[in-house]
Amino acid sequence: MNKINFACLILTISILIAGCGVQQEQAEEDISLNLLETNWETILKEAKDQTVNFHMWGGDDRYNRYIDEFIAPRLKEETGVTLNRVAITDTKDVINKLQNEKSVNKKDGTVDIIWINGENFKLAKDNGLLWGSFASQLPNVRQYVDINAPDIQYDFGEHTEGMEVPWGKAQFVFIYDEAKITQPPKSIKELGEWIKQNPGKFTYPAPPDFTGSAFIRQALYETTGGYEQYLNAANEEELDFIPLWDYLNEIEPNLWRGGETYPESLAKLDQLYSNGEVWMTMAYDPGKASSQIEKGVFPETTRTFVLEGGTLSNTHYLSIPFNAEHQAGAMVAINYLLSPEAQFAKMDPVHWGEGMSLDPSKLSNEDREQLHLLDLGKATLPADELAKYKVPEIPANYVKWLEEGWFEHVAKR
Amino acid sequence: MGIRLKNVGWKFLMILFLILFSFPIIPLIITSFSAGWRWPEILPDQFSLRAWNYVFSPYAGTWEAIGNSIFIAITVTFVNILLCLPAANVIARMNFKGKILIEGILYAPLIIPPFITVMGIHLTFIYLGFTESLIGVMIAHIAPTLPYMLRALIISYQTIGLQWEEQASMLGAGKFNRLRFILLPHILPGIVAGSSLTILVSLSQYLITFLIGGGHVVTLPIILFPFISGGDIGIGSAYMIIFSGLALLSLWTMNTLLKRYYKARITFIG
Repeated sequence: MNKINFACLILTISILIAGCGVQQEQAEEDISLNLLETNWETILKEAKDQTVNFHMWGGDDRYNRYIDEFIAPRLKEETGVTLNRVAITDTKDVINKLQNEKSVNKKDGTVDIIWINGENFKLAKDNGLLWGSFASQLPNVRQYVDINAPDIQYDFGEHTEGMEVPWGKAQFVFIYDEAKITQPPKSIKELGEWIKQNPGKFTYPAPPDFTGSAFIRQALYETTGGYEQYLNAANEEELDFIPLWDYLNEIEPNLWRGGETYPESLAKLDQLYSNGEVWMTMAYDPGKASSQIEKGVFPETTRTFVLEGGTLSNTHYLSIPFNAEHQAGAMVAINYLLSPEAQFAKMDPVHWGEGMSLDPSKLSNEDREQLHLLDLGKATLPADELAKYKVPEIPANYVKWLEEGWFEHVAKR
Repeated sequence: MGIRLKNVGWKFLMILFLILFSFPIIPLIITSFSAGWRWPEILPDQFSLRAWNYVFSPYAGTWEAIGNSIFIAITVTFVNILLCLPAANVIARMNFKGKILIEGILYAPLIIPPFITVMGIHLTFIYLGFTESLIGVMIAHIAPTLPYMLRALIISYQTIGLQWEEQASMLGAGKFNRLRFILLPHILPGIVAGSSLTILVSLSQYLITFLIGGGHVVTLPIILFPFISGGDIGIGSAYMIIFSGLALLSLWTMNTLLKRYYKARITFIG
């Protein structure tokens, strides 16, 4: 008899507990739904005293300093939100972690903000790892960002649907040493000729290195007749990459070490460049050369150039994962990161030196004046020249095909 | 004459050894202080404290990382000793069914890539609520370090039969005394060897710490890897020097403690 009583008691208690759990879950969901609809004042109030974990790639002390020294103290003072930067080596690791958490339905995730774009965004979006469409809730997005611009609305061909907010813009540039090259090539074809005349002085990082992969896309556009044909996602079978492989194989014997091997990462190529072994390197960051000169890593005579046939550009974004614990705080922090104050500081080569994601025409007159006064560094091309040759990125699924194809047709051969 | 020549030979070897050992560290030190060091310069033409300034600035979190690294490594070592003492005892000195199987399972982390195990550990730890915590990281570090401790202890145990303890037992020594006066002194070198390996392996874990700690448990490899993969060799070198220093320091401390222990014991017996 006693035993049965005991069992009943346990059962009742567990049902009660389970019931509470469900109710609590519903309450939590209500709050997060509210945050996507409520007004900004409520969000600010909710965000106060929250600590937001910002997961971002930690391999550049300039970026780290910008967040820790410039953003964090100002954000704390203005809104009461504490920003905690969490250094990561590869955004894919965070995606893996979120996927694991999703599969066991973990609610109180520790990633509040994630720095993301391209393949990783597509992966996160397709697997439901992102929170929701929060972009239009942020006052600075509404005021300063041109949400309908194609290079902001589409992240590597994937519609952002407001699930991520543009943080900055990067553009592909070649880096060269003025003391060694007087007339840098203006097209992929001219680059090929230059490589033939200067054997061993050029190479590119082996894909899937991010920048090496971008170089191949850059070559793809020109060897197959422009970017327009790639804007709509197609099937792999329909695509003809052969002119690209022909070009890459043609330059191969005159690359660094006869093309026997490729640098495994951009960091290695940069090292070859700063040692003078090769005469060119590349970056998906127009301001990088200037800051490397500043650090003393690249020679003083380093300059950058872009191809006249167009140069890849992309936008990188900030997003909030599905299980972020401090959604309100994350919104407030992201909103501050998109303020003119924060974006101008990021453009300054002292801090970071990369393009802003705001629309210059939406800025106030004072802000625009300040923008013109910024000194971008001696190796950085002027903004209008960069803008003139800008072409959009390829849809994310092409990136994988190209990387696999490169291995098959160029590396293995 | 012969002895002197032998001495000179030894000294020469020692010096050669030292040079070979310190050679890779010299460029590390120079890069960490240089503002760009380009071929064919033998020495950099400009020096700067940029890397060290960053490493020891309050927001770099270096001190916290050093503290965490040491704390995790030492705790893991102690847990490993407690886990391995009985296990090694049984495996080394007793025979039972399925012994090979159990040995195989215990050594498995040496062969199976850590990524495979850590993904599973991560899922389980999410259920248990161990992720993003020091405790979780410590438990996860046991997997790759345990085999080293176990191997060292098994070898120590194999050199001591059960007879010594049986004899002591016949002379009236209880369990504690047998452990204190016979077993521990004999297997101590094994414990030290296992501990050194555990500390070194634990100090250099990146992936496990990152996945389980979620970036919130910051250890030296966590802040060091992004700089190496990002190509900032100045800061990378500075962190590498700290890392090597930490590893050397822990090995040296362990060695000194061991020597002191043996000295004390000899005087005690004498």
